[in-house]
Amino acid sequence: MLPLAHVGHWTWALYLPPILIVIGSVVRNKLAERSRGRDE
Amino acid sequence: MTISGLAGWLPFAHALVARQDLPIPAWLFAWGASIVLIVSFFALSAAWREPRFEDERWRSLGAGLSRALLGMPAQVICGLAGVLLLGVSVYAGLRGTEAPDRNFAITFLFVTVWLGFPVLSVLLGNVFKMFNPWRAVGRAVGGAFEAIAGQRFAHAVYPERLGRWPAAIGLLAFVWLEIVYGVSGGVAVGLEPHSAAVAALLYSGYTLTMMAVFGVEEWCERGEIFSVYFGMFSRLGAFSVRDGRLGRRRPLSGATSWATIPGSTAVVLASIATTSFDGGQEGVFKGGIEKGYDWLVEGGLEKTASLRLTDTFFIALCFAGVALVYLAGVRGMASVKGAPPLRKLTPGFAHTLIPIAFAYLVAHYFSLFVFQEQAQFGYLLSDPLGNAHTDLFGTASWGIDFKVLSANAIWYVQVAALVIGHVVGLVLAHDRATAWWGDYRDAARSQYWMLAVMVAFTCFGLYLLSAANG
Repeated sequence: MLPLAHVGHWTWALYLPPILIVIGSVVRNKLAERSRGRDE
Repeated sequence: MTISGLAGWLPFAHALVARQDLPIPAWLFAWGASIVLIVSFFALSAAWREPRFEDERWRSLGAGLSRALLGMPAQVICGLAGVLLLGVSVYAGLRGTEAPDRNFAITFLFVTVWLGFPVLSVLLGNVFKMFNPWRAVGRAVGGAFEAIAGQRFAHAVYPERLGRWPAAIGLLAFVWLEIVYGVSGGVAVGLEPHSAAVAALLYSGYTLTMMAVFGVEEWCERGEIFSVYFGMFSRLGAFSVRDGRLGRRRPLSGATSWATIPGSTAVVLASIATTSFDGGQEGVFKGGIEKGYDWLVEGGLEKTASLRLTDTFFIALCFAGVALVYLAGVRGMASVKGAPPLRKLTPGFAHTLIPIAFAYLVAHYFSLFVFQEQAQFGYLLSDPLGNAHTDLFGTASWGIDFKVLSANAIWYVQVAALVIGHVVGLVLAHDRATAWWGDYRDAARSQYWMLAVMVAFTCFGLYLLSAANG
């Protein structure tokens, strides 16, 4: 039996992935820009 | 089946409805909404290369219509209506029942006016200006002075740096009064009608004094809470008045020039933060509020003061959180090549939050509005004092039909409101960026940060709603 009784307390975490994905993309884009700038 | 009269107190923000029976979990709606925003962002980056909203393209709707809708007779009638309704609210609050759900004052001030005028403002323009009771009295007194003294009253110069800060602080104070002050013994029963009436009288005195000091129109533009708040939403709409003439402009274009006055950013942030707190106190923040309350009570503080202090702390936290997310987005934009200085960016993108503030308002309160307006135009209209002694229009026995909206319908409207509001916010942000960045590619790059802000507000808003809906 899986201990799922308190899983409901963590549903807030399911709202985070879209935010983290967008922020991650923004940061990755920024770092790529900086390294392009350094190469130039 | 209707429910005529309520035995207990109606949970004000989210009325009694059955649990949702959604086809997919609520959090998946947040993912879907985020995908809509991301697709919208890429569509804007590809296709929106020139600013479209910086120029309002205002056109007059004709002298006849302006005379009919804005002329002195219309102003007198609307002003008198505003004064009369304020008077009825104050009288009902002072002399009517103390049950908030049966007293005209509470529903009229905190539902019909507070939630109705933003919708009317978006659809029809700044209509509150015509009905503003304090503006009507101020203009009447000013006109009488001019007629008697033969000259205009000499007003003080309004400090430019003060801007809309009085309205921002007033907005926080108004919501604090409504949802924090109105608690007793650890149970939220809502603001008492008598307290609301006293607050209305105090606010009237304060507003009329400030109008006498700085001028009626000056104070309405900058300091009068309701004028500033409803006026903010009216900037999204297509109708506006210029030099006494009614005209039509490109929708949303009025928003681009709204935040030029200091303190405007604080007004829109306060709007989002207070709505977030009101939604969160029943769900997301409930545990934290209870812990804070218990800690203060154990420390010896009286129960009511403990709850008010804890709630105040959480409102401040909401404001700080919303401000932080926005300022992080602005900081990010400032790091992109070609960016204007930070001091210009912060107010320069504040107007993009207006659709989000409106979306939050609709999402959190539309079901309350639908239910309570049945009461407003039903038993409250015929029995404003709530003492069962009058039936002015024969509707005193009417009730509220809660079955007009299902739980699922409420959720779908909430999701739609948040998605549309944030897409509109994204459009406004992208449009401003194309105007301020020299290169459209840098402009699009700068908007990655506002996309992050929009996705954050969308997911946070849906999380608040799903937790509050249960």
